[in-house]
Amino acid sequence: MIQMTNVIKRFGSQTVLTDVSFTAHTSQIFGLLGPSGAGKTTIINILTNQLQADGGSHTIDAAPFETGLMLDEDGLYVRLSCLENLNLFADIYGLPRSRSKEVLESVGLQDAAKKAVSALSRGMRQRLALARAIINEPKVLFLDEPTSGLDPTTARGIHKLINGLRERGSTIFLTTHNMDEAVKLCDHVALLHKGVIVEQGVPKEICERHNAIKTVPDLEAVFFKLTGAELE
Amino acid sequence: MRSAKAIFIRQATDLFKNRLVMVQYIIFPVVAFIFTEMVAKADESIPDYMFVSMFAAIFAGMTLVATTAGVIAEDRENKSLRFLIMAGVKPHEYLLGIGGVILAASFLVSLAFALMGGFSAANFARFLTIMMLSSTASILLGASIGMLVRNQQAATAIGMPVAMILGFGPMLAMFNTTVEKIFSFFYTQQLNVVANDFTVDLTKPITIVLVNIAFLLVLFTVAYRKKGLSA
Ligand SMILES: Nc1ncnc2c1ncn2[C@@H]1O[C@H](COP(=O)(O)OP(=O)(O)OP(=O)(O)O)[C@@H](O)[C@H]1O
Ligand SMILES: [Mg+2]
Repeated sequence: MIQMTNVIKRFGSQTVLTDVSFTAHTSQIFGLLGPSGAGKTTIINILTNQLQADGGSHTIDAAPFETGLMLDEDGLYVRLSCLENLNLFADIYGLPRSRSKEVLESVGLQDAAKKAVSALSRGMRQRLALARAIINEPKVLFLDEPTSGLDPTTARGIHKLINGLRERGSTIFLTTHNMDEAVKLCDHVALLHKGVIVEQGVPKEICERHNAIKTVPDLEAVFFKLTGAELE
Repeated sequence: MRSAKAIFIRQATDLFKNRLVMVQYIIFPVVAFIFTEMVAKADESIPDYMFVSMFAAIFAGMTLVATTAGVIAEDRENKSLRFLIMAGVKPHEYLLGIGGVILAASFLVSLAFALMGGFSAANFARFLTIMMLSSTASILLGASIGMLVRNQQAATAIGMPVAMILGFGPMLAMFNTTVEKIFSFFYTQQLNVVANDFTVDLTKPITIVLVNIAFLLVLFTVAYRKKGLSA
């Protein structure tokens, strides 16, 4: 479970989060949906204690070694190979190194095992970052825009992987500005606009509430109706 | 300790793949070897080990400070350190892993220098002792710089001049007594003195080096408290 209660965050005189409250339940995929600059990464940084909030509280029911993290800055070692990058974390967590090969395969990078990170394409690099995030089978997984900039096939692969993790009991917190992704993937979403959560709930129910189901549930329309702003 | 070992393995692997850093570890022993073989051994008036001592001091002062600062600044800048901390690695485990690799590399290079110098067993031990103590001082200084600077570029901008003063100071000291007096408080100068004259009593040089280490340990602690390993 991940919970935030009335969190406030300021950078200087700019308030970037106002009274943010939500709960992501165990074995759920929780999606934080909002346009660029809404405060999504700031929320992840606060939840993972990389940033101090100016008010409110938050909890995660997992120890640091039980969490996984994928950020837009991947922090991979560019001169090391994919496998060497993963072996480092297998060693840190005290896992057998065979686990590195296993996760590498699960993101479809087995053929690039010996390739240096500097020689990977953007999508491959992103998948490697995901592999590192899940190597310890985390109880709680944070994914900051895990599929941004990826081709649809790779993105679908990542969705499948995330679903699989949820089935095995992980709680997944992801941010996105892709409403399709939010509708298809998430059990629960929160719409964030300029640091304020304007709506949250089950994606389909939110759309019904705002009469935004024409042919498919349309979170984009809900967001526009509530804020007058576009998601992308 | 598991994490420190994991970081040690990672850093050792990276060292071999990082040509820019690797070259700094190889260049001084190679140059010393060439000078020893071609100049020192050919000229009766120059002791065989003169260039070994000279370049060993430059190596200990320059290479170790610059590379330690560079590694830490790079790990901070590209955010890889953040993922280590998130995975539960303690800052001291990280620093131990990185420092361990650099100290081990310095030991190998020092060994190469010592073999080149053709020292007697007692002098061999003397030389390695003062080299390892100086290396410890350099690593502490480099780590402090690596933590205090904003990014890798700043690490080079600040680390290089500091490293050059420490590394080349003893050479300048040979030509000027005032410079020599000032530099005699620095560990690299003491390293140079000990490595160049095997009749010198070790008490004073070792004391000065230990005082340097103590002072750098304070600097390191302040840097660590103030900036830690934040990105
Ligand atoms: N370290 C910082 N110092 C000052 N302002 C910051 C800092 N980090 C973020 N901000 C500001 O906080 C706001 C929210 O930023 P945040 O990175 O959380 O947005 P985001 O929703 O993740 O956007 P994106 O989709 O582009 O990643 C922005 O206005 C940003 O300028
Ligand atoms: Mg962001």
